Amino acid sequence: MIRRTIPIWLFWLLAIGGVIALLMSYEIVSIQATRINELQNTIPSLKKLPEGIKEIFRPQREPENPKPAMFWVDIRATMLRLGIGMTIGVFFSVLVGVLMGAYRWIEAPLSPIVMFLSKVPPTAMMPIYFALAGIDLSMFVSVVALGIFFSMTQSIYQAVCQDVTDEAINKAYTLGASELEIIYEVIWKQILPKIIDSIRLQIGPAMVFLLAAEMLVGGAGLGYQIRMQSKTYNMKVVYVYVTILAMIGLAAEWILATLRRKLCPWYVK
Amino acid sequence: MSQFALEVKSLSHSFGSYRVLDNINLQVLPGQIVAVVGPSGCGKSTLLKAILGTNPPTSGEILTDGIPVRGPNRNVGIVYQNYSLYDFMNAEQNVSFGLKLDETSFLTRFFAIRTYWEKRKKHLAKSRDFLRELGLENACGKYPHEMSGGMKQRVAVAQAFIMRPKIVLLDEPFGALDEAMREDLQLMLLRFYQENLLAKKEGRRPEYTILMVTHELNEAIYVADRVIGLSRFHTQGDQGAAIVYDKPCPLFSPEDPRDFSRFAQQRDELRKAVFNDEYIKDRNKYVTFWSELSDLANSVASTTTQK
Repeated sequence: MIRRTIPIWLFWLLAIGGVIALLMSYEIVSIQATRINELQNTIPSLKKLPEGIKEIFRPQREPENPKPAMFWVDIRATMLRLGIGMTIGVFFSVLVGVLMGAYRWIEAPLSPIVMFLSKVPPTAMMPIYFALAGIDLSMFVSVVALGIFFSMTQSIYQAVCQDVTDEAINKAYTLGASELEIIYEVIWKQILPKIIDSIRLQIGPAMVFLLAAEMLVGGAGLGYQIRMQSKTYNMKVVYVYVTILAMIGLAAEWILATLRRKLCPWYVK
Repeated sequence: MSQFALEVKSLSHSFGSYRVLDNINLQVLPGQIVAVVGPSGCGKSTLLKAILGTNPPTSGEILTDGIPVRGPNRNVGIVYQNYSLYDFMNAEQNVSFGLKLDETSFLTRFFAIRTYWEKRKKHLAKSRDFLRELGLENACGKYPHEMSGGMKQRVAVAQAFIMRPKIVLLDEPFGALDEAMREDLQLMLLRFYQENLLAKKEGRRPEYTILMVTHELNEAIYVADRVIGLSRFHTQGDQGAAIVYDKPCPLFSPEDPRDFSRFAQQRDELRKAVFNDEYIKDRNKYVTFWSELSDLANSVASTTTQK
């Protein structure tokens, strides 16, 4: 029967079984590929993946110019770009989205522009960013910030329109609120869980835009490294990097979900 | 301070060429509970929005306590049918929200945190006391999604009244509640009215002045001390709805039995005057309250002077 509940132990058993099945399938495909070509690196055995982990954490020994391990250089570059880009993108999205939802004279000129540009795939805009912002940190930041800005502004604006009723605003006026107080005490607080959810949903696209930009023009970063390693078929490093990206995504999701639970205990989906 | 909590002077309202309200004149004294009834689409909500200040009239003027209404403001409280409590605040925070807005500035809340928290504690205590008076001591820490409809509506009433506005507008306040909840809330309004009577007796200005829109005739006559009928079924009906009925109601105390037969005759008269489209009448025929109103206003004025 559709949506019939199953015991919790069975649920967990199936969940763990799914992961084991995936790993076993991978290993079988790897064994088959090795049987055909002993030197193949495309699908390395699971046993070889720890070598990939060791490799990314091995300090790069250059006698005259000692550098930290490859992983730390890449993660630092990617996280810095992502952090600054997301902060700027989120700040302006919330500001513009809230103001559009609050004032008709701001909504009127901006809503067609935001609606139009939110439909343009940010990766298609990359040549424009390269031309305008060069290929240094500011370019990566622009890719992330502008990449999320339009769609996030759109979702914040819609959250204000849907979740903050005219009644809530009129009532605040009757209780003596000023416009600034309505924006902060009513609108901001009402849509805070939606803002956190929007950030959570935008992390994935932001990573896509950033990795794509790094693959194209990066000198360091997870995207750059994945491209470089895949060129030499050093797939054990690529798979480790991909796994790390998934773990970063999961960690960000967990942190934001926890933040939403702590800050908005009233929120029921 | 004006002798009237609310004055509506020659108010008319049109949507394009369609005239909804025609020459509405209304005066409400402090302490009155006035029910407004009328057929669907007759302009009750338009009148309420005009008084609230969200829908300015095409012509005419509205004064609360002698001050012209230019927009929603601190003098007029509102309770909506759908509760419209703030989801992100629990009951006591919802009720104390107005006190916070009134007594602390936006900057104080960020830069004078100690002073702010001292005041905030007092606001929350006051809000808890008020909720306790309304029998809601168990609701203090609950968020709106954890409360029943009746609880939410009582919290919404408390949120409006704790601010002591000149008048509170109730827009179909009990429309979404079951019968038992309705009864509870009706009794709450009757208790407010008892407090008004006590205040008048002691020479104080009554605190609970209410204009309530409802479609329930029994509720209107049972709870209010004056009922107003708004309708287009009068001789100049094509010009818009007007007040075609304005009479005092029998007074009930919360302890009295809910005996609606006491006002059966008035209910029939009200139904005929307001809801019967086959009975087109002179709009002033059923309006008897104006002469009594001026006497009442004089008595309130003299009480205030003596005090």
